[in-house]
Amino acid sequence: MRVVAVAQNTLRESVRDRVLYVLLFFAAATILGSKAVGRISIGQDIKIVKDFSLASLSLFGVLVAIFVGTNLVYKEIDKKTLYTILARPMHRWEFVLGKFCGLLALLALVTLGMACVSVAYVYILGGTVTVTYGYAVILIFAKLAVVTALALTLSTVTAPVVGAIMAFCLYLLGHATGIFLDLPPQLKGSFTETLFRVLYYVIPNLSNFDIRAEAANDVPVAFGYVFWALGYGLGWTCFFLILAVLAFEDKDV
Amino acid sequence: MTAIHAEQLTKVYGGTLTRKAPSLANLTLQIERNEIFGFLGRNGAGKTTTIKLFCSLIKPTSGQGYIFGQSIYDRTARRFLGYLPEQPYFYEYLTPRETLDFYGRLQGLSAKERAHEWDRLSELLDLRDIADQRIRGFSKGMRQRVGFAVALVGDPPLLILDEPMSGLDPVGRRQIRELILRLKEQGKTVFFSSHVLSDVEQICDRVGILAKGTLIRTGSLEELVGMKVEIVEVVAAGVPEAIREQLTGTARSVQHQGETTAFSFDSVASANTALKALTQSGGTILSVTPLRETLEDYFMKELERALGKPVGAAEENE
Repeated sequence: MRVVAVAQNTLRESVRDRVLYVLLFFAAATILGSKAVGRISIGQDIKIVKDFSLASLSLFGVLVAIFVGTNLVYKEIDKKTLYTILARPMHRWEFVLGKFCGLLALLALVTLGMACVSVAYVYILGGTVTVTYGYAVILIFAKLAVVTALALTLSTVTAPVVGAIMAFCLYLLGHATGIFLDLPPQLKGSFTETLFRVLYYVIPNLSNFDIRAEAANDVPVAFGYVFWALGYGLGWTCFFLILAVLAFEDKDV
Repeated sequence: MTAIHAEQLTKVYGGTLTRKAPSLANLTLQIERNEIFGFLGRNGAGKTTTIKLFCSLIKPTSGQGYIFGQSIYDRTARRFLGYLPEQPYFYEYLTPRETLDFYGRLQGLSAKERAHEWDRLSELLDLRDIADQRIRGFSKGMRQRVGFAVALVGDPPLLILDEPMSGLDPVGRRQIRELILRLKEQGKTVFFSSHVLSDVEQICDRVGILAKGTLIRTGSLEELVGMKVEIVEVVAAGVPEAIREQLTGTARSVQHQGETTAFSFDSVASANTALKALTQSGGTILSVTPLRETLEDYFMKELERALGKPVGAAEENE
């Protein structure tokens, strides 16, 4: 009940924020503008539109997750709105979980809205989408859940600017973990190799959520893989949420 | 059962290496039910720290606190309290109606109970005209009314108010004083911090004085300030010179201007003797004013004693 109240309030706050609409405008403009890029590659325009749509959906979703997420708890402490909330008979984890669910609900709406716009656009251009496109959208959302949980954790321990920089660095590293195991032969057995191997396991591999190329080219993806990737995302999301709750539990506000 | 019970409550901010002087040291205090308790101290004395400890916004370094018998570590203790922070902040994009509904949900109230709470509190705090306006454009007084309404959601028996009169105009302060007295009539316990001593003097049953994180005095106003008359001022007209000179020996001071003479006496007895002499000599008594020590006098005296130096020279520590 209290989690839902905090979540609904977070969603309402975000929906009433004009910055969201600016981001949505740019996301929609990118999707609609992708046709212009598609013209350069003859016969590939639908593929380009699909690829661009999924890329912009991912990028703008991550921007919202990082910039709103790193502000979520910090802003409440800074503006002192938290005082009257935590003085109520609620657990602190309820507040953290409520903030997370509120932002995730917003991202679900944004993702769904943009996905609908992109699918409609593809059909208007005479193309079609397969179930892989739907899987790609779902996995992007799973990735956004991981990034949101990470941003929320950082929001409980650091200022938004520092948090956003850290979250963005981890996001980039998360997309590059594949190369951590694919090092040049001269590094074999070195400390660097060990370090990268450790990094490979302690940073979420966000490439696991990326089936954009398959979706753009209508290549089938096994449901088993999607299911596994969702589980992987759920695991990391829970891990970051537990960290956020632990960091916030004894924090003086 | 007491409304608030603190036992050796201590708060030291900072980590092991960055540890500062205690913001609150060994606070032991009991607030009875249906009492209005004023918590006094200069800025940085530890008033807000104490309030934050009672509301579980910060964790004590040591000691224990209880709200109606429940430990402050236990979230159920917060069922019994309503909190109004200094300069309350709420979500600017919400209206008072939405704000009260939100806090009602956090309190665990059903939709029907929340609707009832809105009716009750919008009436009590005169919120109906601003019910659907966003808080963003509200004045300090309007925000304070919303803040009070939020603190009263769920009808808690204890109200903890941090500087509730701060920044309000005289009308606003008077409204808050009347509201606090009305809440006491309804059986509530009110604990509030303030540095506006005249407000405290008018409504508190008991006060506590805090200096540099240490509670230096608690008691009722009578206990602290006492009813003892310190000075009696007598103003008379047409006092013969002989009587004036005679009374100069017993009066603390004599000021003569035109037809009127003002005497001040150290005791009621010497003032009575003087009044007899003045009336027998044909003088006219214009006024008799017994002067008692004010809470402000007492507060300054205790503060200087605790700090060991004149208050003007005392350092701010927060």
